[in-house]
Parts: sequence; C-alpha cells; structure tokens
Amino acid sequence: MMNLLEKNRIWLAVFILMAFLISVPFFASDYWVALLVLILIFTVYASGWNLFSGLTGYTNFGLAWFIGVSGYVSSLLIADYQWVWLLAWPIGALFVSGVSIGVGYILLRIRGVYFAISMVALTEGTRELFGTGYLEPITHGGEGVPFVAGVRLPILYWSTLLLAFVTLIVCYKITSSKFGLRLMAIREDEQAAETLGIHTTRDKIIAFVLSAFIVGLAGAIHCTYQNYIDPTSAFNIQLTLTPIVMTLFGGVGTVFGPVIGATLFTFIHEILWAELTLLYMAIFGAILMGLILFFPQGLLGWMKEKGILPRSRKI
Amino acid sequence: MINFIEILIRGLMLGSVYALVGMGLTLVWGVVGIVNIAHGEFIMLGAYFAYWAFSLLHFNPLLSVALSIPFFFIFGMMIHKRITERLITAHELSALILTFGMSILIWNLAQFFWTNTYRSVPYLTGNFPVWGLVFAKSKTISFGLAIGISIALFVFLKYSKLGKGIRATSQNSEVALVCGINTMKMRAVTFGMGIGLAGAAGAIVSLQWVIFPQMGGSYVSKAFAIVVLGGLGNIQGALVGGLIIGVLESLVTQYMSAKMAQIVPSLIILLILLLRPTGLFKK
Repeated sequence: MMNLLEKNRIWLAVFILMAFLISVPFFASDYWVALLVLILIFTVYASGWNLFSGLTGYTNFGLAWFIGVSGYVSSLLIADYQWVWLLAWPIGALFVSGVSIGVGYILLRIRGVYFAISMVALTEGTRELFGTGYLEPITHGGEGVPFVAGVRLPILYWSTLLLAFVTLIVCYKITSSKFGLRLMAIREDEQAAETLGIHTTRDKIIAFVLSAFIVGLAGAIHCTYQNYIDPTSAFNIQLTLTPIVMTLFGGVGTVFGPVIGATLFTFIHEILWAELTLLYMAIFGAILMGLILFFPQGLLGWMKEKGILPRSRKI
Repeated sequence: MINFIEILIRGLMLGSVYALVGMGLTLVWGVVGIVNIAHGEFIMLGAYFAYWAFSLLHFNPLLSVALSIPFFFIFGMMIHKRITERLITAHELSALILTFGMSILIWNLAQFFWTNTYRSVPYLTGNFPVWGLVFAKSKTISFGLAIGISIALFVFLKYSKLGKGIRATSQNSEVALVCGINTMKMRAVTFGMGIGLAGAAGAIVSLQWVIFPQMGGSYVSKAFAIVVLGGLGNIQGALVGGLIIGVLESLVTQYMSAKMAQIVPSLIILLILLLRPTGLFKK
C-alpha cells in the first residue's frame, strides 16, 4: 500500500511538472520559451549521449556528427524542397540513424580511445567534406544555408517537450531493462559479457543507432530553431562537448543526471555568455577538468553514494 | 617532373614538423598512457613563445627553438605532477576528457589575452634555388631542425640511462618498478619531453606559418593520424608517419584542393584503424 502511494506520488509530481511545462507558452515571454527550448534540446543531446556512452562505456566524441548530418538533411529538405518541418525532422533523424548502422558496424569494433578518436575524425572529415566544392550543389558549400521553416515558437517548444519526454521514458525503460543491463555488462568487461552469451556487437549497434536517432531528431529541431545551417556550426565540436559536460556533471549512466546537467549548464551558459563572452569557453574547459579530477561520479552518483538517493539504476 | 619533385620535397619538409608533433604525442601516449588532446595547444604556446621572444626581446628565432625545449619540458613536468599523474590509475577515457578540457581552457585563454590576430615571425623570408628547384629558406631550416631534434630523441631514448628507464616503463610499468626504476619520475620526464617536443615544434612552425590561438587543432588531428599510422608508442613509426602525412598533404593540395587536404588525416585515421589497427609497422 505504502509502495503504491509512493509510486502514485511520483507520477502525480511528473503530471504536475508536465502540465506546468506545457502551459509555459501561455504566460511566459518568448525569451523564456526560447531558453526552455534550448534546455530541452540539450537534455535530449545529453540523454542521447548517455544512452549509448554512459551505458556501454564507449565514449562517443561524434555527437556533433549525428546533429550535423541530421540537421543538414532536414534543413536542406525544408530550404530546397519546401518540405514541411514535421516531415523533414524525422527524415533527417532516420537518415542519420540509417547511416549509423553502417558506421556502428564498422567503428564499434574499435575500442576505447581509438573509438573516440575515430568518431572525432568522422565528424571533422564530414565537416570538411560538406564545405568542399565537390558537394556544393547539394550542401551549398561552406557559407551555409539560411532558411525559414515557418514553425511558430510555441509549436517548436511543444514538439521539443514531447521529444524530451519520450526520450526520458525511453532512457528510463532501457536502463531498467535487461537490454540496459547487457549494455552495462559491456561497459564493465566486454570480453566477459561476450563469454556469458551476450551478443555484444548487436547490442552496441542497437544502442548506437537509437542514440543517433534521438540526437538526430533534436539536432534537426536545433537547426530549425536557429533558421540557419553551415558546416562549422552544425559539426561544431562544442555540440559534442557540451552534452558530455552536462552528463558528467549530472552523473554518467544515470537516467536523470543529464536532465539536471542540461538545465543547470544551459542557465550557466546563458549567464556567462552574456557577462563574459570571451572567457566563457575557458571557464567551460576549467569546469570540465575540475569535474574529472574532483567529481568524477557526478551529482546523482554522489548523492547515491551518500545515501541521499537510493542506489537504483532507475534514477 | 621538376614540379613533382619540388612538391615531394615540400611535403617531406612539412612532414618533418608533423613528425615532431606526432612523436611527442605517441611518446606520452605510449609511456604515460595519457592521450593528450591538449598537445596541439602546446604547439600554439610554443609558437607564441617564439613570437614574443622575437618581437619583445628580439631573440633570434633559432635561439627560441633551442630555449623552447627546456622551457616546455619543465612546464610539462609540472602539469603532469600536478594534474595528469592523478589519472594514471583512472579509466583512460577520463584523461581523454580532462585533456580535452585543458585544450579548450588553454586556447581560449590565449584568445582572451592575445586576441585572434594572425601573427607571424618575419625571419628568413625568401627562397633559394638548387638545381632548378626553388626552396623557401625558412622551411629548409625548419626541416633541418626537426630532423636534428628527432635524431637527438632517438639517441637519447636508445642509449641514455634515462631513455632506457623510459622504454622499460613503457614496456611494463610494474616490472620496471620492481626492478628499481622510479616509474613515477619516468612518466613525469616523458610527459615533459612530449610537451617539450610540442613546444619546439611550435617554435619551428612560427618560422613558416601564421600563428593564432586555434592553430593547435589542425596539428593535433594530424598528430593522431601519425600515431595511428606509426603504431602507438612507436617513435620511428611516428617519424615515418609524419613524413607520409606531409607528402600526402602536399600532393593532395597540389592536385585536388587545399580543402580536400584537410580531410586526409581523418581519412587515414579511419582507414588504418579499420584495416591495420596496429599501425603500418610491426613493433
């Protein structure tokens, strides 16, 4: 009985929070809605990164590649072929997850640092390729594509909210499922996992492609939100780095850590960017170093250690 | 034909500097076990070191190259003792993310203090002809310096007592420790040497190209390609790998486009990791 009440209380809290978030565009100014869109987009980036890297231990330094490829496909569909945004976004995400099957099949054989480097190489290579004259008829070269998708801010906000909500449910379900356990087994000891009969390659690729789809969807929305795309901004290393820092702060491998990290860091970004434009990135680098040295388990990991939160995979 | 030979030699000269960068990275990675993404930023600092020594103190740039090695050696040792030594036992990806943060911190501080202005050291400008081929003076000097430093490094690692200790640490850190080698000191010295090589490479780079705070990134991606080509921790492999990358870049720039040349390192990393993950040479 107690347990049931506890469970219902949590669902009630979720319900109230969602109701509040849905109603935000009716009373808040555009500034706050736009800020919330960014928070939600980065929540999805961070959760998407965490879904693959946090669980399997394969550090993905190519998040910007997911974002850039999906952003390019969807933006070009909207700009050059006058597609509706609602259709262009999933097509972009489907495209990048389709390519990710191949990429994952090839690159996920490489372990540890080499995997991280090869994803960086893939991102850098694709960025340069999209800016060359060879692909100019399709990508418009290095100067980028401005476009108007014709989606109003509240609609954009609600779509992002829906995406973030679904992403969190997916992450929650996966982390508490057997599939999630298998991924964590890969993280702890891939060889041992394989000897126990886990089809490691298949599971890794599924997680990788799922992460690509989620992040790709958010990436497409992000590009529409900015009404502009060019290789340097779409494949920017900062798009890889920021979600990683957010996840590290919140707690790698936790479900709600990325949300906390994304919310906090988007606010920090908003404040620091306005006040200290030039030093902002330097502070960011210093925070990243400090997190690794002094706070490697993240906020939620620390709270679990101290007994403030139960040691459950589901949080 | 003359043109082709000239491009080839230009590529070798370019590659010798890349080799210096790659050797520093592979040394630190192989011996200390830390993947230093901030390696490129130390090249940038080395270049600025030479620049300020030239424009404020009117040092001869060649003297700056010589001074940059001990200066960055000590700098690197300090960084290792204070920061990276703590990560020796941690997961190798922790070091990767930490040095990533360090890289961002350093280049943004450089941008803050020195602004984004492109700078250069106007020294040894002009060309000289040899048998109908034309070479830039600064690049030829750079080539000599880079090869000289590489040879000195080989000799040091092969014959000196410290060099033997470093190699022992790289082969098996625990056994080396049991044999009475101070592996902690060896790691600090190696990290210092890696940073020293990066600083020297930067001082050499300042002779021939423009200097700006984000310059490190392009070198570090080439350095990774070199490490992957030569095999992890393989110094000779890194030298050959550097020359290969230099020649390829020179050829692609000439016959395709400069933009395509930027893709070469990424392509090499992907191809080698897929086809021959141990590098081109057997260790």
